[in-house]
Amino acid sequence: MNNGAAPLVEVRGITKRYPGVLALDDVSLSVRAGEIVALTGENGSGKSTLSKIIGGAEQPDDGVLLIDGEPTVVANPATALRLGIVMISQELTLAPHLTVAENVFMGRLPRRGGLVDWPAVRSRARTELAALGVHVDPRVKVGDLSVELQQEVEIARAVSSKARLLILDEATSSLSETATERLLELVREQGRRGVAVLMISHRMPELYATATTAAVLRDGRMVGVVPLPETPEPRLVHMMVGRELNDYYGGRQVTPGPVVLDVRDLASDDGALAPTSFQVRGGEIVGVAGLVGSGKAHLGMALGGAIPATGEVRVNGTRVVLGDPRRALTAGIGLVPDDRKRAALLPTRSVAHNMTLSWLRTLSRFGVVPGRTERRRVREAIAEYGVKTSSPNKLITQLSGGNQQKAVLGRIFALGCPVYVLSEPTRGVDVGSKSQIYGLLQKLTAGGAAVVIISSELPELIGLADRVLVCFRGAVRGECSGEQLTEQVLNAIAVSGHIHTDDSGEAA
Amino acid sequence: MSQDTTTRPEAPISGPVPGGDSTNALSRLAALWRLSGSSTGVLAGLLLLGAYLGATQPIFLTWGNITNVVASNSVVLVLAVGATFVIISGGLDLSTASAAAVTGMAYGLLLQHGQNALVAVAGALLVGLLLGVLNGVLIAYVKVSFLVVTLGTLSVFESAALVMSQGKTLNVFSRPGFAPIYRITNGDVGGIPYLMIFDVVLVVAAALVLRYTTFGRGVYALGSNREAARLNGINVARTTLSVFVIAGLAAAVASLIQVGRLTGASPGVDSTLLLTVVAAVLIGGTAYTGGDGGVGGTVLGVLFLGVIQNGLTLSDVSTFWRGTVNGTVLIVAVTLGVARHRGWLTINRGKKAQSRA
Ligand SMILES: Nc1ncnc2c1ncn2[C@@H]1O[C@H](COP(=O)(O)OP(=O)(O)OP(=O)(O)O)[C@@H](O)[C@H]1O
Ligand SMILES: [Mg+2]
Repeated sequence: MNNGAAPLVEVRGITKRYPGVLALDDVSLSVRAGEIVALTGENGSGKSTLSKIIGGAEQPDDGVLLIDGEPTVVANPATALRLGIVMISQELTLAPHLTVAENVFMGRLPRRGGLVDWPAVRSRARTELAALGVHVDPRVKVGDLSVELQQEVEIARAVSSKARLLILDEATSSLSETATERLLELVREQGRRGVAVLMISHRMPELYATATTAAVLRDGRMVGVVPLPETPEPRLVHMMVGRELNDYYGGRQVTPGPVVLDVRDLASDDGALAPTSFQVRGGEIVGVAGLVGSGKAHLGMALGGAIPATGEVRVNGTRVVLGDPRRALTAGIGLVPDDRKRAALLPTRSVAHNMTLSWLRTLSRFGVVPGRTERRRVREAIAEYGVKTSSPNKLITQLSGGNQQKAVLGRIFALGCPVYVLSEPTRGVDVGSKSQIYGLLQKLTAGGAAVVIISSELPELIGLADRVLVCFRGAVRGECSGEQLTEQVLNAIAVSGHIHTDDSGEAA
Repeated sequence: MSQDTTTRPEAPISGPVPGGDSTNALSRLAALWRLSGSSTGVLAGLLLLGAYLGATQPIFLTWGNITNVVASNSVVLVLAVGATFVIISGGLDLSTASAAAVTGMAYGLLLQHGQNALVAVAGALLVGLLLGVLNGVLIAYVKVSFLVVTLGTLSVFESAALVMSQGKTLNVFSRPGFAPIYRITNGDVGGIPYLMIFDVVLVVAAALVLRYTTFGRGVYALGSNREAARLNGINVARTTLSVFVIAGLAAAVASLIQVGRLTGASPGVDSTLLLTVVAAVLIGGTAYTGGDGGVGGTVLGVLFLGVIQNGLTLSDVSTFWRGTVNGTVLIVAVTLGVARHRGWLTINRGKKAQSRA
């Protein structure tokens, strides 16, 4: 048969077993040149595992991988790269101590006379980044960049290496709306040029705007391949989670109580957040929107005591000492940071110990952790927050990305704080679990908690929050609620700091 | 489809070893090894070594030899238990052997000045505590790198020990206050040396602290991800200070055992001691990057090095070889640990696989 008709990449009967889990069970899938296939499914359904196998980072226990119709063994990521398979993974893989330019050209630095041609590295990196609309100095160390910029650098690296198959494993999960839009446009463009794309995302609108086909995995099995914009969303979601999702964001009947969180002139010492004041009542959910670098992430960190800050924060009238996470926690501010890998996970510890980390102070008696109570509470939390793991003693890094996030959320929710500050709480979480988390949030607020939710997903903010603060260039520039709470208004303030319609005037 | 099957993996596993059965067994072994805890490697090594020595050296398995191995490795064990805390927390205490020299000197001097046993022992422990506080404060509160601080104090403590006695070894055998420590380090009850009992108690206590206390969990959290630990309310500075204080106290206890066994306090620092201590911890499966491991592994590491040492002595090999052996074992053990961690040593069919060139 002729290779022109063969799909660019095809897997047949792929099976992959991890201790205690069958991650992939006889999975077959093909991706043709120019096709953009969305790989979907719940957290832990095997999406990353499948893409790692195609990308050479894992080997299947059984099954065949065909490239251009020929059975091929992709032994490692380097081989994959030579075959034109470029993978952008869920976990960032950049070297934090190297510069942006070095990272973009890692493994293929332009040379002259045996030596690395540094001026060329920098200028070519600058060109590549500019082409993607990423404005970052190629000489900066990657570790000093925000997660979003790091992700964009990673994408620049992938795109510049001339891929035939581009695998995007939740590449957009740490990007803002605009950056996401840029990336998706880039993906469509690559598709038009005949590049095959395999993309994983838990954001349905992205899939609908980009992909031509959706392949759905459930518990490691391929449950179906459907054409994309045509298949209605409820049907696709049903294939993924196996049930209907009604009442996605949930609702609650709460009359906001007294002010629980009172923030006055909160500013971060590094200047990323200018003095900001707002109040949150018990039972209220306040959203915070804004572009990356708008200071919204710093607002969360300053509230949680993660960074040095000035101003006045009161919880139930009691003043909180700033810049000290211990004090913030004691005062009742539960923070979920946005950078899971850097600031939340203990990568060398088990799921159980990761969860207990947040509970140590309340759980222990005279400095001793009661083993039985600990095991019981871990079991309960795993069940309540839907963390899919074969055992509480499994290493947290062996969970799927979404399940790691659920563990991090669960350990904070279980604290019963009066105030929750959640930065990108549903990053990497599947639709079904998102809905479940929203339900839990509604329950927390119904119980009188004040919730600040910082998110780059506007639909989430609009669906959940009573009102949304919008950050622009380091300060809160607007507040929207009710009628005004629309993506257009939020976007307008986020991009320009004010609303530029004729009937404007609400941007404070 | 084109059937260019040169690259088709016909069997699920087609490793470098011919013969399906042995390959399967091997791959199963490899999987077991990858799944096993980080100290099973050493345990296996220890058992093999023990079996070999037991078969070739009739003396090896005698009770007298076993108690001898335990007694002569107690100093290393106590220091290594302290070092385990530090290393799990993501640090390293290079000054531990030198600190032991200082506390030993303090103990010897107190005895020479006619102090009673209690005062002398308490004095040595206090000095150990202070040395630990010195390291800990500089690292945790002044925020100087642990490598810089403990490399500096390594040198400072070493010379302090020499200054304290003008370089002389203090003979304490005839001092009345020395009797209790002498008895504890050399005596036995019903054939079981007190030292062995002490070692067991110490190790069990340390293991319980690491596993079941908030402090212990904090030590792991710190070594695993400092920022996550901080954000979840772990007192990073205090925990760091504490592990160095534990190391200082361990140095004091180790020095008491040392003086007890030698009946004198020597100001010189055994140059191989530090390496042996750190090697024992790492061989025992504690990660040098922190966040993983435990004292159980450290015991195995100490025993492993101790048994090798014992084997060399029994086989009349010069002690000059000791450093070579310890260093080599360290590198091999840690390499194997890293290999397991990265999932190497699986019978990787990927190795033979080829891209279509
Ligand atoms: N290294 C590993 N060791 C053990 N189990 C693993 C390992 N990697 C993945 N798993 C398990 O395999 C299953 C599939 O995981 P995978 O990461 O492919 O899920 P996913 O579909 O990408 O989920 P998510 O949407 O949360 O990213 C999960 O149950 C996970 O716990
Ligand atoms: Mg995944």
